[in-house]
Amino acid sequence: MKKEIYNCLLCGTPLNENVTWKSLLGSDYPDTICSDCEGELEPVTESDSHEIISLYQYNDKMKDYLHRYKFMHDVILAKVFRNQIRKHLYKRRETIVPIPIHPEKLKERTFAHIDELLKAADLSFKQYLEKITTETQGEKSRDERLNTPQLFKLKQNVDMKNKEILLVDDIITTGTTIQHAKNLLIQEGAKSVKAFTLIRG
Amino acid sequence: MRFKLIKTSNYITYKSIIVEPQVRDFFSGRIWTRNHTPFPQEKIEKYIERGYFKLRSAISIKNTSFGPFKRKRYICNRCHNSNQQEFIEFDCAKCESKCVYCRHCINMGRMSSCTELILWKGPKPKQKRNKVLDWAGQFTELQQKAANELIQSLEQNRNHLVHAVCGAGKTEILFPAVHYALNRGNRVCIATPRTDVVLELFPRFQKVFPNTTIHALYGGSPQQPGFAELVITTTHQLYRFENAFDVVIVDEADAFPYTFDESLQKAVIKARKPNAPTVFVTATPSAKILNRTKKENWGVSFIPRRFHGHPLPVPRFQSLWNYNKPFEKGSIPPKLLQWTKQRLQNKEPFLIFFPTIQLMKTAITLFENIHPNILSVYAEDADRKEKVMKLRNEEIPGLLTTTILERGVTIKNVQVAVVGAESKIFTSSALIQISGRVGRNVNFPQGDIVYFHHGITTEMDEARNEIMRLNKMGFGSSG
Repeated sequence: MKKEIYNCLLCGTPLNENVTWKSLLGSDYPDTICSDCEGELEPVTESDSHEIISLYQYNDKMKDYLHRYKFMHDVILAKVFRNQIRKHLYKRRETIVPIPIHPEKLKERTFAHIDELLKAADLSFKQYLEKITTETQGEKSRDERLNTPQLFKLKQNVDMKNKEILLVDDIITTGTTIQHAKNLLIQEGAKSVKAFTLIRG
Repeated sequence: MRFKLIKTSNYITYKSIIVEPQVRDFFSGRIWTRNHTPFPQEKIEKYIERGYFKLRSAISIKNTSFGPFKRKRYICNRCHNSNQQEFIEFDCAKCESKCVYCRHCINMGRMSSCTELILWKGPKPKQKRNKVLDWAGQFTELQQKAANELIQSLEQNRNHLVHAVCGAGKTEILFPAVHYALNRGNRVCIATPRTDVVLELFPRFQKVFPNTTIHALYGGSPQQPGFAELVITTTHQLYRFENAFDVVIVDEADAFPYTFDESLQKAVIKARKPNAPTVFVTATPSAKILNRTKKENWGVSFIPRRFHGHPLPVPRFQSLWNYNKPFEKGSIPPKLLQWTKQRLQNKEPFLIFFPTIQLMKTAITLFENIHPNILSVYAEDADRKEKVMKLRNEEIPGLLTTTILERGVTIKNVQVAVVGAESKIFTSSALIQISGRVGRNVNFPQGDIVYFHHGITTEMDEARNEIMRLNKMGFGSSG
């Protein structure tokens, strides 16, 4: 990372970093948020399945974070969770596939938020999927979500045979998005499909 | 076909388009994003095509070199922020190259290198000079003097400082000056760092200037029609103006975050026309401003006396050692409890200031046990306005608050306590402002103001000494 971060990215208070042996010698990235902000996040303690792993609960702090990152387009906030994301993903042997956004939406948002999360954590990923609708799950009711037609298609010239895939998304609520992607990949011959999300709604 | 639109500028002509007054009125003096206007996009594009707008990139790059060292410096053209740490580079999918955005004003919508800003350069709206000042109030001698001095400064086109104690009737002093400026054909802006103050000033000005178009601007304010000759705004919203005002009045010039955030001060300079006079109004001017008044030969009015002619209530210090502990253990410190009960018994409304939201939140549950109607307010509270109204209407006995209510709040016969007055957040000017809440009403010119503390700080001493000094100056002759 070129630029060091001196103030908490979420509340702006100066970060006073304690230099420890671990921070000097370890491979962790320096902190980007203060301990107060960190304390307001609720990590997911028990997971109901090892198919889908989530890191945090969706609470007010997370809501604020996601709003600022995704809708106010504050790209640097991708760095906030880089340590945690990296810790969970860098040893995985599956191929990491981020959930894509529609090209039109991408133009509007100016950045692909899932890709940026992974880039910030220095993880390599493959873009196998393409989104075909511009509608967002967040605006729909539960029933509507469950009855949506396939949201994705496979990119051209991609071979799925016997591949182990780990899907990455920012938030999971009903699981429709993940399910759609999973169905498609299995259909195309993937060996296994698991999922990782930052937030559980 | 060519129209000549303004008499004074002979050479500006516009080709075959009739300018809609709504567009003209909205964009005059504003600096706005090209793609997020309240008008249909095609319409805006048409105006741009015909040259009615100046275009400007939102982030400009200044290359500076110092010998062999070359450096790129970014500047945000909306908020004039030049703190390089607040500029973030990223790969932009819209312009498909490296883009930079400004984090400083991101709350108002992100500005990045590929965002374009538009400035109106079409015809200017005409201002009528028949404004009425409908105010029947009476000035005290000191107020009258200050009001005259202020008009004089405007005549001479120089800056002015109105230094008046809390409750001196600062807003009223502005009326004649604003009236004078409006009838000179000026566009006037009253800027203040606090939304609460905007909301308080707006109806008062609307009442006394019945035939003037006044807009109130703050985060989330509704769109208001017409060309505002008088704009009452938070200093933040000034980011959206450029070269717009002939007179800028900065009310409560010492309030957070105006003094703290340099870009807000730049915003004031940006929003006014070059060399337009600026008026600062405050109860607690900083040493920096006082210095500037001398150096740059500003006009200064000083009012050490309240409009009702009674001295300022002097704060008393009361020790409240280790106040954190009892709160954590679930009880109110005895001295504070006694003070609160006394207020409840006398049926006097009260405000209790806390240094942190956290401490206030632990305290509020305890206070609810004494009286269920005691409420608390803080900056992010959505019902802030309603709660203060309730206290004013005597529907609730008292409020717990953070420094958010330190200024701009007038409640009849209010009694004030500050808990943890030694905390860093209570600077001398904050404490003076808080003390200024007490005794503002003619019928209740006195009241209790206590600083509950865990050790006396210099800031507390300074605040009390300043209040006593002002009282001495205001009442020096009569004792």
